[in-house]
This record gives sequence, C-alpha cells and structure tokens, in this order.
Amino acid sequence: MTTTKEPPSPGASPAGPEGPAPDESPAAAPTSPGAKPGRDAPRTIREIRLARQGKRKASTKALDNPLREGLRLERMPDPAAFVLFGATGDLAHRKVVPALYQLWRTNLLPHEFMLVGLGRRPFEDDTIRADYRASLDKYSRVLPVDEAVWAEFSKRIVYHHGDFEDPATYESLSSRLDKIDQEDGTRGNRLYYLATNASAFPDIVGQLGRAGLDHEVHGGGWRRVTIEKPFGRDIESAVRLNREVAKVFREKQVYRIDHYLGKETVRNLLVFRFGNGIFEPIWNRRYVDHVQITVAESIGIEGRGSFYEETGASRDFLQNHLMQLLSLVAMEPPASFDADALRDEKVKVLRAVSPMTPDEIRANVVRGQYGPGWVGAEEVPGYREEPEVEAESETETFVAARFEVDDWRWAGVPFYLRMGKRLPKRASEIAVQFHAVPHRLFTDAGTDPEPNLLAMRIQPDEGILLRFEAKVPGLGVDVRAVNMDFTYGSAFNVDSPDAYETLILDALLGDASLFTRADEVEQAWAIVTPIIEAWLDEPPPTLPNYAAGTWGPPEADELIERDGRRWRRI
Amino acid sequence: MASTDAPSEAPTAAASAAAGLVTAPGDQVPGTPTLRWSARAHSIEEIELELARIWAVPKLTAVDGVEERHIAARTSVMNLVVVARRPEMAEHAAAIIQELTGRHPSRTLILSSADPESRSWLDAQIRAYCVLPREDAAETCAEQIYITAGGAAGRHLDAIVAPLLIHDLPVTVWWPTEPPFQTQAAHDLLDMADRLVVDGSTWTGDGLDRLAQMAGAMDRHRISVSDFALVRQSRWREAIASVFDLEEFLPYLRSIRRIAVTYATHDRTGAPGSTNVIKPVYHVAWIGSRLGMGVERPLAPAAMPKVSKPTGPGAKPALHRGLAATLRGSRSEVAVVLRPIESRMPAGTTLRVEILSERRGSELRADVTAEAETVHVRVWVDGVAALERAFLAARRTEVDLLADAIEAGGSDPIARDAIRFAARLAG
Repeated sequence: MTTTKEPPSPGASPAGPEGPAPDESPAAAPTSPGAKPGRDAPRTIREIRLARQGKRKASTKALDNPLREGLRLERMPDPAAFVLFGATGDLAHRKVVPALYQLWRTNLLPHEFMLVGLGRRPFEDDTIRADYRASLDKYSRVLPVDEAVWAEFSKRIVYHHGDFEDPATYESLSSRLDKIDQEDGTRGNRLYYLATNASAFPDIVGQLGRAGLDHEVHGGGWRRVTIEKPFGRDIESAVRLNREVAKVFREKQVYRIDHYLGKETVRNLLVFRFGNGIFEPIWNRRYVDHVQITVAESIGIEGRGSFYEETGASRDFLQNHLMQLLSLVAMEPPASFDADALRDEKVKVLRAVSPMTPDEIRANVVRGQYGPGWVGAEEVPGYREEPEVEAESETETFVAARFEVDDWRWAGVPFYLRMGKRLPKRASEIAVQFHAVPHRLFTDAGTDPEPNLLAMRIQPDEGILLRFEAKVPGLGVDVRAVNMDFTYGSAFNVDSPDAYETLILDALLGDASLFTRADEVEQAWAIVTPIIEAWLDEPPPTLPNYAAGTWGPPEADELIERDGRRWRRI
Repeated sequence: MASTDAPSEAPTAAASAAAGLVTAPGDQVPGTPTLRWSARAHSIEEIELELARIWAVPKLTAVDGVEERHIAARTSVMNLVVVARRPEMAEHAAAIIQELTGRHPSRTLILSSADPESRSWLDAQIRAYCVLPREDAAETCAEQIYITAGGAAGRHLDAIVAPLLIHDLPVTVWWPTEPPFQTQAAHDLLDMADRLVVDGSTWTGDGLDRLAQMAGAMDRHRISVSDFALVRQSRWREAIASVFDLEEFLPYLRSIRRIAVTYATHDRTGAPGSTNVIKPVYHVAWIGSRLGMGVERPLAPAAMPKVSKPTGPGAKPALHRGLAATLRGSRSEVAVVLRPIESRMPAGTTLRVEILSERRGSELRADVTAEAETVHVRVWVDGVAALERAFLAARRTEVDLLADAIEAGGSDPIARDAIRFAARLAG
C-alpha cells in the first residue's frame, strides 16, 4: 500500500475543524493517573479539559469507526498473509486448510489473502496445491469441492520450503512476505499459525522474533501468532513456554487455540447463560445439586500411539477442554463480551478450584486404561496393543475427577468431570442437575419425582435438554420425568461452522474471546499438574482396568456414587 | 366442509392418502422439503380444524409388516404473513418460503384477494411441508396456508390473519409488491406485525414517497423493517467502512464534503421520477445516519446546465443530472448527488459511490464500484493512490434475503436509522 503523509494545515484557523490548535492549548496535562503534575501543568478541571482538547488522541481503533457499528456479521478480515507452519502436516490437511477453503467459499476471507505454507519437505507451490486439493476431497465439510472456488483460492496458496530451526528460513520468509505485501496487497498483516509439534513452538517463536517478523510497525500491519495445544506438559513447562512466547509477542498478539471453544454449543453456552433471564438466577449452589461434564470418545488413539504415550487423557483433555468447559459453566457474567472481560471471569473460576493434596487426589481422581473389547459391532484391541504403545504402558486413557469451585456461587457444589477413549459412544455434554424438590407432595405416585436436569449436548446432536416432571395422563396422580429437547439440527436447519472456521476467522478479525490466555493455561495446569505428580509418586492401579466399550473403570462409578449420585446415562 | 385434496406435486402419493396425508415419511430425501399434507377449507373454522388434524392424526406406516407410528413435530419460530395480492406472486412467494422450511420453520399465511365486487368468500389451501435434516434426525414440519379472499373479506385481511396466528410467536409481514401504507387495510395488518419485509427497489416511480410512508408506518406501528434493497448493500457497506478502519483515513470521516452515488437508468432522459432510486438513497442514508448528520435540504432535481436542445432525427436528449441534496455534518455541509447513467444493469442499481473528504488542506477520495460479484474500493489522498481493495459479494437470491430478514430477529438499529434518514432525505 502506498500512503501519503498527511500535510500540515497551512493557515488553518485556531478554532478550525479539529478544535483549538495545539499551540493555543494550555500545557499538556498528565493523563495517566499516576503521573505527577509539573509546575505549569493544568490542575483545574477546565485546564485539564482544554489541555485534552488540544491533544491528539493517542490511537484510534477500528471500533472508533462509526460506520462499523452494526456491521459485525458483515465484517471481513483485513487483507492478510496466513503463514502456516507445518503446512505438510496432518493438522494442516485435516483442519486448517479445509477451514480456510470453507471461509473463502463463503466469502469470509478478504480478496487480498495469501496462504503461505511453510514446511520441511521440498515442495513446489503446485505440489502443495495438489496435496491440499486431494485433502479437501476427504476433509472438506461441504462436498463436492467447488472447482471454480478452489481455482480462485488455490491461486492464493504458495509454499515456502525451510527448516524451522534454520535462521535462513526466516530471512527468506521475511523477504517473501514483504514481496507478497507488495504484489498481493496483504498490507503487512500476518497471522503465523503453528500447526507443528509443540516441541517446535519455542524455536519458531524465537526465530520469528530474531527475524523481526513479530514487529508491528505503525501503519505497517498487525502480526499475530496462533498456537495449537498442548500448551506445555505441566505448570513449569507452560510457564516456560509462555515466557518464551512473551519475549517475542505481546499477549494481545497471541491466540492459543482450544478448538472446543469454537464449537457451536460451547459458544451457545454463553448465549444460553447470559442471553436468557430465567436461568442465571438459579445457576448457583442454592438450586444446583451438582454438575457433570462428560467427554466420551468411542475411538481409540487413531495411530497416534507415541503422542498419546507422552500425553494421556489428563494432558490431552482434562487440562484444556474439560477445564475450559468447567470455567464456562461456573463463571460469573462478564461485564462485556470483550475478550479480556470474558477471560478474566474464566480465570477466576480456575483460581477458585483448589489444587488437591495427594490424599484428596486419591479420593477424588480416577484414572483408567482400556483393555480389549467391543465398540459398536467391532472388536477393538486394548490400549497396550495399539501401535507405538509400550506393552507395560501406564498412560491413562480415562480420567474422572471430582472438583469443587470454592467461591460464593458454587461452594459445596461438586463438579464431576470425566473423559475417556473407547467408551461406548461419542458424546460430550454438560449436565446441570438441580436439587430435588424439598417435599414429596404426590405421595400416591408410584415413583419419586426426579430432580430437574439441564443438559447441554456438545456433540453429536448439539442441543439443550430440560428434564422436568409431568403428570401421567389418567385418573391417578402419577408423575413421570419428560424431556423438553432442543436440537440445533431441527431448529436451525443450517450447518454449524466447524470450530476451526470460527477460530481462524476470529483470529484474523483480532477477536480473542474464544482463545485461551496465558494465565488461564497456567491456572489450568496448576490444577492438573499435582494430579499427574501424585500419580508418579505411587504405583498405578492394575491396568487396563476397563474394557473398551464400557463407561470406564468401576472406581469412576464409585467416585460419584459415594456422594449418593450417579453418572448420567448418555 | 373442509376437503382433502391431492396437490399436483404428489399425485401418486395422494391417491393412497387418507386424512390429507400425501407423502409417506419414508419417501423423504434429506434436506428437501416434502409436501406431506394438503387440504382445502372455506372458512376460518375449517382452516383451524384442518390445522389441528395435521398434527393430531397419527400416520401408521408399515415397515416389514410392523406398523410404526410416525411422529412429525411441527416447528414454528414465527408467523409469516405474505400479502401477495396476485396468485402468481403467491406462488412465487410460496416457492421461496418452502426453501426456508427447515431453516426457519414458520406458519405461513399467503394472502391474496380477488373479485372485490362479489359477496364475501374465502378459499384456503392448507399444506404441511416437512424436512428431514439428516437421515438420522427427526423431521421438522411447517404449515403453509394459501388464502384467497373475495368480496369485502378481501379488504379485511387482518380479520382473517388474526385468528390464524400462533400466539406468542413474532409476526413478520412480507409484502413483496407495493404496500399501500396509507390504507386502512395496511394499517390494520401492520398493527399486528413485529416486522415488515419489503423490497423498496421494486416500487414504481422513484419510490421516494412510499419510502417516506414506510418510515412513518415503522414508527407508528413500532415495527422493524427489513428492506431487501438495504440488505443487498451489505457488502458495499463493508467496503465503505473498511476505508475508515485505517487509522490514517479515519479522521477524514468527520470531514466529508460530498457523497455522490451513480445509478443505472433505462430512461433516455434519466429524469427524476423515471427510475427507482431507493438503493442510491440508502447508501447516503446509511452514511448520514451513522455519522449523525442532519438533512439540510432534501433531495430535489439537480439544476441542469443550459445547453442547446438536440436537433435532428435520433438525437439523444441530454441525460438529467439527477437529484441533489445537502446534509449537515458536524463541521460543514455535505453535498449529495444521485446521478443517473444509462446502463444495461437493472434500473436503480448502484454503479458507484464516491466520497470526497477534505481535512486540513488534504483531500481523500474514496471510490467504490461493483463489477460482477466483486466490490472494489479505491482511495486517493491528494491525488495519490493510497488503497485498493476488493470484496467478494456473491449475488444473493430472494431466499437468502428473506432468510437474512428473518434472522435479523429484533430491531435492527442500522436499518431503522437508515430508513428514517432516507425518509428525511426524500423530503
């Protein structure tokens, strides 16, 4: 882009269109609260007001543009180069590129958009295009792929060959991006998307910094970095990674993706809680008996044995997805829908979850590992029989835990969380169980009334279910639980966007609401790390301890049943 | 007495149908609305009876000799009242609404009147369409009621509509033709509405009188208005707004001196009144309303330069210079020009929006044009090219526009302010 510098205003009247001329205004006032006023500094309200009138505002944002008001849904990201590290990897093919294609197809990407794939393989531009085209046939949400759309999109894909550790890669990348800015009008806006192994994050971020690719120059475009989970392996490594990232990028430039937060139902949870007046008054310990959060997967580790051996369910799910869901359910209403306001409230929840002592961990956390069994109509091997998994592996594929959020709203309300691989079905939900009625009024009824329940299904069949009691038609007064069931599929017969589409678009628009902040990551690790540490200090349970196709080890049932409750049958 | 009949869409299924059911549930293709019920009625009571029957009669279907009770759930997110006036318009509207069955299931009443001089009569066809979102999902169904009213009944459509609305659901009135805002019938109908959907760009003449009437009706009846003409311009708005997202250009926004909109006309003279100018007016109204401007002088025919009359056979008359108005910005007056240009594009289509801004001796000119499915923005500062961007703007069908209008839900302050401003601009 070429811009001309704004000329001075020759002969402009002192009370011209922009207010009093700077030389006419009183001496500048200290505007920051902590600044000390000088001898000639304005002190009275009038002096300060006049001083401010004479000063130019420090910065203007897109939000200050009055033409933007009400155009949120129509807003298109700024022209940008999307630099994809790990361009030849699995995540790029399965998720990132299909999401970008879909955004392009639906006119949500700017015309001046370039995807710069960066990888170690010696590909040409055409090779990576052909590679991505083939992937779209497998992974695109909308098939068949629209050839005309793809033809236009593929023109915007280029490949940059290089080693992530090699400084020369970044030097040449820098030159190439500058050239792209000139030729394709991307205006210096860059989103670096790290779809690589987590071990490469510090190196890539450090090299970006060394090459000056992080610098946001005034009027020279923005620079953002998107980091995929896992954000560290424990509290210590998370703090270290955050520190490395913070050396190069400011927090507002960092977008940590937890794709669960991009899911439609998770986003709807915020609307459900804070867009309806009837639920929030009962969303507390007075009315809620307990909360269950379940993420069940019927699949195993899908050939990622070596990855899973190093992670396990606690690192792969508990620290991020489950903790995020917990914080969204338990958070206080934020003052605004602004990213930081939202994340402030989520962090407060995590801070209110006290890390457990080893004894408490023994009592409140259960781990499991699946053995051989049947899932659906298929016989599946046990975890230890999976490729790249040690025969004596102690890695957990199931975790269930009981947490308490020690704050005014939730004191005494248990939150039961469970996640497992090779469970009978794929189902994720948040269930809020309300207290039972205090007095049994319908004594003639054959059964006790069940407590009300509100379940938010995250997948599949995204929707919301409210269970309440109703009279069975007939002469007697028999009471039975019935469900009021809302499913997205039937109320809105439109496809929900994939979580990656939502999150990538948000990152390009600079909206960090659905991304995890550094302190959130660290706080979640502060809860989970003691659990992992405690497990390292004692012998494991007899593993495997649940058969594939069952709902986890019996200890998980005992965990909740000893409180007089049961896991929901999903 | 109500009678069940077979619509032309499903003659074979209808032959075996009982109680109005024309298609067995198993015949459905996911995602495609299927006609599942059709019946006729000649009074409000009969219509109500038929509506109740659709969902009350369980359909037993036999699968491998086992009888299954088919349960179809009626889903309605609103009442949609279409004032079609003419039968062909009713058919056109019905086809669009059918596409939205799954996306926005509604109870739809499509009204037309006929034979105004006869004694009152009413003929209604009640249909239920169902959509199977996926093979494994529950189907959703919605009702369409075509009502033709003759005689005096045709002049009191509100009396027909009121008893047929599903209570507690919002009422959207879609008026695909020209709403006669000043008639009692329109008043009565809009009194029960929450939202009015129109397409101002199809109105006859320049459309400005009706626009002013619509703004009056909007405030009087406290309804939201979705005008397709305004909805269609969303990408233009995005393009124009994007110019001032840039920090260096934002200060110019408060110093706009001129807004010029060029539009297509098919009239050789381009004389005011010959072409609908709703779309060009909305561009100005949106900018003016967002920037808190006032209308100093409303639109009036621009002064024509004195030129000699064309002589000789086939000589073209000079094209009119269009309409001009003056707005009052926060710091100065803003000249507005709506200029016609003979073009093959549909009459009234916006061809170009130019914004001229002067600030401290510096001049910014933004030029927004459309070409095929792309909106281009070019900006010059003091004559030097400073920005060029393109925005993809796929052409939206009436189905998309109606969906947008419905999805807007509550009051849309952008539309409300733009329509009010446009009415003031119209004078």
